[in-house]
Amino acid sequence: METKNLLNVKINGISYKVPKGSTILKACKEAGVDVPTLCFMEEVSQNASCGICVVEVKGGKSLIRSCITEVFENMEISTNSIKVREARKMNLELILANHPNDCLNCLRNQNCELQTMAANMGIKEGRFVRTKPMDLIDSSSLSITRDPNKCILCKRCVNVCANTQTVYAIDIINRGLKSKVAPYMDKGIGNVACTNCGQCALVCPTGAITEVDNTSEVWNDLQNTDKVVLVQTAPAIRVAIGEAMGMDEGALVTGKMVSALRKMGFNKVFDTNFTADLTIMEEGHELIKRLTKGGTLPMITSCSPGWIKFVEHFFPDQVDHLSSCKSPQQMFGALAKTYYAEKMHIDPRKISVVSIMPCTAKKYEAKRPEMMGGYDYWKAKMNLGEDDKFYDIDHVLTTRELARMFKEAGINFAGLPEEEFDSPLGASTGAAVIFGATGGVMEAAVRTAYEVVVGKPLPSLDLKVVRGFEGIKEAELDLNGTKVRVAVAHTLKNARTLLEQIEKGESPYHFIEVMTCPGGCLGGGGQPIPTTWAIRQKRADSIYAEDRNKGLRKSHENPEVQTLYSEFLKEPLGHLSHELLHTEYTKRGYFV
Amino acid sequence: MGANTAIAPELAAADKTKIDAIVKKFKDRQGSLLGILEETQKQNKHSYLAEDVLSYISFKTGVPLTRIYSVVTFYSFFNLKPQGKHNIIVCRGTACHTKGSKSLLDDVAVLMGGEKELEGGEPSFTTADNEFTVRTVACFGQCALAPVVAIDGVIYSNVTSLQLRKLVSKISKGRN
Repeated sequence: METKNLLNVKINGISYKVPKGSTILKACKEAGVDVPTLCFMEEVSQNASCGICVVEVKGGKSLIRSCITEVFENMEISTNSIKVREARKMNLELILANHPNDCLNCLRNQNCELQTMAANMGIKEGRFVRTKPMDLIDSSSLSITRDPNKCILCKRCVNVCANTQTVYAIDIINRGLKSKVAPYMDKGIGNVACTNCGQCALVCPTGAITEVDNTSEVWNDLQNTDKVVLVQTAPAIRVAIGEAMGMDEGALVTGKMVSALRKMGFNKVFDTNFTADLTIMEEGHELIKRLTKGGTLPMITSCSPGWIKFVEHFFPDQVDHLSSCKSPQQMFGALAKTYYAEKMHIDPRKISVVSIMPCTAKKYEAKRPEMMGGYDYWKAKMNLGEDDKFYDIDHVLTTRELARMFKEAGINFAGLPEEEFDSPLGASTGAAVIFGATGGVMEAAVRTAYEVVVGKPLPSLDLKVVRGFEGIKEAELDLNGTKVRVAVAHTLKNARTLLEQIEKGESPYHFIEVMTCPGGCLGGGGQPIPTTWAIRQKRADSIYAEDRNKGLRKSHENPEVQTLYSEFLKEPLGHLSHELLHTEYTKRGYFV
Repeated sequence: MGANTAIAPELAAADKTKIDAIVKKFKDRQGSLLGILEETQKQNKHSYLAEDVLSYISFKTGVPLTRIYSVVTFYSFFNLKPQGKHNIIVCRGTACHTKGSKSLLDDVAVLMGGEKELEGGEPSFTTADNEFTVRTVACFGQCALAPVVAIDGVIYSNVTSLQLRKLVSKISKGRN
């Protein structure tokens, strides 16, 4: 770096050269000096509300918040003076005064930034009494629980919702002591235009926003001998559950995960990757149909339920652009209660399907009234009444909840042997595993669509142009002389950009992949905390490694998917597919 | 920002026309939201911003509903409930407090039958017949004249309990 862009600063008496324009916090970090932070979160929030990151600057009248103050030439910074330490501690104690002392029964126990900070600062007693009235817990949502009492008003959730997702479901309301994070008119997050993406829960430093915990329902089903309990695991779980069980970030633990699920007592351990391959068959053919026979273009993927609800709320006139395919989770549920039940002669009402998802929005998706393909299939055949109604998916657990169950069951995860998924809903190809990373569905779709249309395999199966964490990626493909333009977006902010193009009639694309969360499902709202960009990268590396190591890497080569078509569905987009694997969308206002 | 929904919220046509004109008047002006909200509240018969009105303003301006709600709950100037014909504002700033404004507020509350509401921590209440709204402010900037009470926009200084009863009875003539 050129020296003219460097400034001379002293940090704790030692001289450093730091880039012009850096904050004190960043300069200290680069110099290897740790400044504690609480409300600050890189690329998400710098609200400067907590006062933990204060430092002393020579000549300054008061202590300075290092997260928002830029360094200047010859600045002398002290990060560790008595004055600084006492101020930090006082600021923390004032925050703790209004934070309940119920760590032992909090979902974020042992994974809480506030708790860690209190330990690091050597807090030994609660000197101050609570000044805020206790508030009600918001349990209006199927995906997210909000406990305003645990909130420290860092605004990370508000910022991630507004800036990363452009959803603006929550903001600070009222003033002074009554300030709190709330949806419009404090109506309950389940009653307003929230996409359930859970990014707020992922960035929350405390237990103020968490996933809705469904572990006890799953324990109940596992203990119920009348139930046949099937489990499916999404592509992004195998690169994240290891982390939550104390292994390395991004550790690829497919076999151990299968083995642990068996130990928990699931009757069959299946793979959402199977229906990811199936999604490619259905969605690929849908795309080809729209391209050749006419249909709404660009077609946009429909696997990500946060994205679906986003379109329904904010762009209801564009729902026809969405592929009619259900998400792989829902396809799995519908097939488990029809194809699998029939094949194994099990009463579908006795089957309980549990999904392990990196996603909080999947909890909502599973309870959408239209997600009863199995019930509709059996209704006439088994003469079922209203009381017999069942959803295709019974329970959805996030990666975090699964980790809690593993721990509760005393499973020594790292030491487990590697096991294989069960058949017939367990086989998958490399094309399915990459669903877990942004660009993966596109890459998988292209591998199959190219071969179906052109009649020979893609020259290279690695479609590097749609990989990586750039916000919007695009590519052009030549399908037998037809130029197909595709785009890939992750985060709803980037998706919004592409939708606004469509709204204006200016979209140059034929096919678009959208994933709600930053990085795709591997950065989902139900993944282990913390999820940083460095961790997302490690998870992505593992996903592409699994793809490379798979014998089969194209969805249409999945032998169990081929059997499913020959035994049951007959053909992609056929009658049964239409009934079980495709869906419709709802045009919503703000409150629906 | 465009984070509103595409479906227009339900609202009476007359109200829509009013808000359309206000939004147009403030178009492209910086900080227009406060002006729009102020003007809309002023034009309302009961001097408040109803839920469907806020939804419609969000729809027209593209400012997210949560942002609008954040703004209207921050400034005590904005009302989310219908206001009475007359308003009585008791200053609860430090100077007025030391000069006994709490007992003035209690007096008004008793006179207007709103003791319960104030006990619940609400900063204001409106009588059931929509005649009076009683509220507090943090400071009028008239500390030298404490305690201060404003009635229908007129500020009264060095107010005593007796004086306040007189003032209130003047505007509440004919009321049971």
